[in-house]
Amino acid sequence: MDQIENRLTKLALNGDQQAFAEIVELYKDKIYHLGYRMLSNRHEAEDVVQETFLRVFKSLDRFDPNQKFSTWIYRIATNLCIDRLRKRKATYSLDADMNDQEGLDGYSLIPSDNRTPESELMISETKQIIYDAIESLPAKYKSVMILRYLQDLSLQEISDVLGMPVTTIKTRVHRGRDFLRKKLEPKL
Amino acid sequence: MECKTAVSLMHDYLDDDLSKEQRLMLKAHLLSCPNCRMDFKELEQTDMMLYSLPHNIPSASYELTERIMNTIPQRKKQKVWVKWMKIHPAATAAAVFLIIMLFSAINIFNQDNQLVIHGNDLDEVVINGNTVIIPEGTTIAGDLTVENGKAEVFGDVQGNLTVIDGSVYKASTAHISGEVKSVDRALDWIWYKISNVFSEVVYR
Repeated sequence: MDQIENRLTKLALNGDQQAFAEIVELYKDKIYHLGYRMLSNRHEAEDVVQETFLRVFKSLDRFDPNQKFSTWIYRIATNLCIDRLRKRKATYSLDADMNDQEGLDGYSLIPSDNRTPESELMISETKQIIYDAIESLPAKYKSVMILRYLQDLSLQEISDVLGMPVTTIKTRVHRGRDFLRKKLEPKL
Repeated sequence: MECKTAVSLMHDYLDDDLSKEQRLMLKAHLLSCPNCRMDFKELEQTDMMLYSLPHNIPSASYELTERIMNTIPQRKKQKVWVKWMKIHPAATAAAVFLIIMLFSAINIFNQDNQLVIHGNDLDEVVINGNTVIIPEGTTIAGDLTVENGKAEVFGDVQGNLTVIDGSVYKASTAHISGEVKSVDRALDWIWYKISNVFSEVVYR
């Protein structure tokens, strides 16, 4: 797997557009999924995918082939998601009433994903409950839990992606799991 | 074992990070502590539920790849030599130096279009505008060099006559014992300068 990516990055670096398109094909769904779970919004998830690949493209010449490509791209994407979550927090206070329109608050501005095809097709109520629980996690646990359970990364890989020691990742997985257990326990 | 330690071991178990002894210790504690047994069951169920979630659903829209490929900039031709420059800094420096030298040489060459005469014996030379005349019956001892002008020779030159960016007129009465050289273009001029340096060095 890594060899394929190393070859593709080398070709892309030499100006082979087709090779870069193949990298996009290999990773766009994974990154989209990560963005969607982190941000709970399709539109923002697509933005993250686009921005991630743009950054990958621009820094291809700085990619170290001894490093895993997947770790590298996950790091870029995760950082973009965390940045967006942080900005969201800083920009709006959701509970504040808006000045110009009465009765509207910040919540009404967040594009609701409740009526997207996905939720219409969501037959399993259980899964929806789990997704809601993940969404309610604080950002620092959310990223770790998504990488662990939805992207199947090992603790070591998550530590490489986030640039934190494995022990920190372990603690976060434990806390995140406990948080989810408490959330899910009364509902199931 | 304390329940707090047991909880930590439970998580390690779910992370697949327990030694055989720790596993046995945990098992013994769970058998004796109904509260922890309950907690463990819930944790394990949470873990399994998380793993059961689909991994690539929803997928990104189909035209996303196309959109991404449209937003990335084309790798420019320029990039090739920028990269080359990064790889060969010494060659780049040398090339820049050469270019600067060439420009300054051309500049110097273009700048002086004033009449210049070199020679050991210039007393009898007549200058008329940008024409250098060696009148009939006069004798110039040694070499004579004229830059940016015409040379009209009626008398004797006991040496070489060199004309740079100009022309030579030799009358029937003229006598030049050395060579007559006429240099017109920049390259010839540079070559002339270089060979001059060498011949000077040799004669010294």
